Amino acid sequence: MTSTLETQPAAASRAAGSARQVRVAIIGSGFAGLGMAIALRRRGETDFVVLERADDVGGTWRDNTYPGAACDVQSNLYSFSFAPNPDWGRSYSEQPEIQAYLQRVARRFGVREHCVFGADVVAARWHDTARRWEVRTTAGTFLARVLISAAGALADPTYPDIPGLDTFDGTVMHSARWDASHDLIGERVAVIGTGASAIQVVPAIQPVVESVTVYQRTPAWVVPRTDHPVKPWMRRLYRFVPGLQKGIRGALYLFREFLVIGMAKRRRFLKPVQKLAQAHLHRQVRDPKLRAALTPDYTIGCKRILISNDYFPAVAAPNAELVTAGIAEVRPHSIVTTDGVERPTDTIVLATGFHVTDLPIAEKIRGRGGRSLAEVWADGMVTNRSAAVAGFPNLFLLVGPNVGVGHTSMVYMIESQVAYVDDALRTMEAEGLEVLETTPEAQDVYRQLIAEKSKGTVWLAGGCASWYLDEHGHNTTLWPDFTFRFRKLTKKLDRENYVGIPASTTGEEVAA
Amino acid sequence: MTATVQRRVAAVRTPDGAQLHAVVDGVDDAPVTLVLAHGWTLAQAAWDDVADLLTPAVAEGELRLIRYDQRGHGRSTWGEAEISMDQLGEDLGTLLDQLVPTGPVVLGGHSMGGMTIMCLAAARPELFGDRVRGVVLVSTSAGDLTSDPRSAAGRMATLKPAVLNAALAGAVVVEKLRALLPPTHPRHRKMVRDLLYGADATEEMVLAGAEIMHASTVRSFVSFMPALDEHDKRENLSALTSAPVEILVGDSDKLTPRRHSRQLAEALPDAQLYEVERTGHMLPQERPRLVADAIERLLADATRDEAAA
Repeated sequence: MTSTLETQPAAASRAAGSARQVRVAIIGSGFAGLGMAIALRRRGETDFVVLERADDVGGTWRDNTYPGAACDVQSNLYSFSFAPNPDWGRSYSEQPEIQAYLQRVARRFGVREHCVFGADVVAARWHDTARRWEVRTTAGTFLARVLISAAGALADPTYPDIPGLDTFDGTVMHSARWDASHDLIGERVAVIGTGASAIQVVPAIQPVVESVTVYQRTPAWVVPRTDHPVKPWMRRLYRFVPGLQKGIRGALYLFREFLVIGMAKRRRFLKPVQKLAQAHLHRQVRDPKLRAALTPDYTIGCKRILISNDYFPAVAAPNAELVTAGIAEVRPHSIVTTDGVERPTDTIVLATGFHVTDLPIAEKIRGRGGRSLAEVWADGMVTNRSAAVAGFPNLFLLVGPNVGVGHTSMVYMIESQVAYVDDALRTMEAEGLEVLETTPEAQDVYRQLIAEKSKGTVWLAGGCASWYLDEHGHNTTLWPDFTFRFRKLTKKLDRENYVGIPASTTGEEVAA
Repeated sequence: MTATVQRRVAAVRTPDGAQLHAVVDGVDDAPVTLVLAHGWTLAQAAWDDVADLLTPAVAEGELRLIRYDQRGHGRSTWGEAEISMDQLGEDLGTLLDQLVPTGPVVLGGHSMGGMTIMCLAAARPELFGDRVRGVVLVSTSAGDLTSDPRSAAGRMATLKPAVLNAALAGAVVVEKLRALLPPTHPRHRKMVRDLLYGADATEEMVLAGAEIMHASTVRSFVSFMPALDEHDKRENLSALTSAPVEILVGDSDKLTPRRHSRQLAEALPDAQLYEVERTGHMLPQERPRLVADAIERLLADATRDEAAA
């Protein structure tokens, strides 16, 4: 203990000086961070901060401003259950509307004043003696009893490792870091990637650019998008008929949950979905070669199912080209593929996704003994109920491992997690605990559960490599079952899987 | 990866609002440009075998190669103008103005693509000789396509016009019927082979051609048929005497039998006529080497003149 006591004065002086003491620090102000903050506010908790690296709330929906950015889930479902919006302009909203919704919700529930903007977390370290998290950010240091990481999975863009990309003379931009001031009109644009971002950005820019070349590694299954404007009378109905929007939300939820049967239970139920996607491609693309290049060789659902009515027409447009040869190198004014074709290029759009299985925030959070989450997770991300990690007391994760969903609204999962974490906080309060930490045993059980549920699912057995799987081929990102089962699992804190230390003691642990 | 081929796609916008999908291979300062025009219900892919043979020259920087989809075909859109062969000639002119504003050009046309070139020559004769330094006309005709009732074209002509209009009106139904017998079906390929290919054509050739045609729309079949029927440039070929012309035709061509190519050769006394044995209408696919050879002769002429000038 002497050594830790020796470090005490330093920590204490920092605490007394620049560091700000809070009960809870939340990292990130996207759907998860705001959802958590609102939950705290609604039960009267005010001693918390939301640490946001940017200058506004919104997270993924603030950052992804590329042309055509929109949600793949109907807004009636992709919104907070406690904050329905009767004024959605379209059934599937575009980014500006979702971002405006988040800004509005943050203000309405009074959590905006808890936000510290420009606070990029540099390092977060657990202090066993002080029983607090020391969170160093670019906007000062915070000492928090509880740290909640709502940093998200679609937060940090991945940049492909292509030889010569840094020598490119034109503009290079990631879809998640779009530069709206850069005019694409009349340019020869290369889009690298064919994921969810690419299929939105390609049709949005195709009509205005001189030419668009789409570099595809693996084609995606694409199903029709049933998007339509919401009629004014419908909005009035939403406003004045109690429960209507909630009912539609429920119906959408149920309908989407049926996909889980195919993806996670009986893969043959995906056949009709795949047929639908095939018919969609056949109807929209006539050229046999292009059609073949756009036809995936894996079962639908293995990679994220994309929805679009204008992606195929855009890649089949007179000024578009789909390239399936790999990229050999980037030259100052062109991209060269492995088949020896060089295409002059003015701007490169990287629609290459995010760090999902290697969350950058994991490198910044260090628990007991100074080990980072990333180090602890070197063999794969493990948690208890996707929220807690042994060795990281008083840390909770939102939108961390195994909560991802491809078929339905992420907000449903977020609200499930928020309820769980909130129950953990209330339990700490009720029992007078200063420390709450899950056990390695609980993690093992949860890992087994995920592995068991993932067995035979389309993500593992569908014949594809995807961002759902980590480098070892394990599903560490998706919840592999019905989402209502996750909600049930996380309805209440599983106190038996946690060890608590009361405020009065110095180190004695209290099991449930 | 020693030599690379530069490639870009371009959408050529015509005055009436059509967009023509063109693929430009090679560097902009190549000494000569070759533009290839495809036939009815085909697409630029019909030239792929010939283009492959020319790729080394493209990679060497000796040639710029442009393939494009005619309006209403492949990826190109329709535009507002009424469909006629003259319109296709105008389109080719627009494409040249936008993509090849200067420098020597060699044109290649297969079937309807050949007629496209004849129409360009009739409308803009000044281009030929100075700019257009050579023309390859493959399996094509200057007119009078349907007068012979025994020819395939003649038999097709009996389809009009009520039947065609009905087909167009019921295009969705026709499309569904077409889907019932895809190119992978042997019956489909037999029909295509009997109509369009010669005795030596391989199954792969027939399948590739059938797939390109299968991708075309009922609308392009129906809309272009009367336009083909009306095509008559037999008295209007004089501009083509200003440039070297090579004419190729298969001896078993049923759509544009060799009589048409012989007529062309008569009207263009300096033109070279090659009648190819055991070959049908899809000559660029069936005998790509012969077509590439003819093109290479014209390219050599075109660049030799350039060097002399």
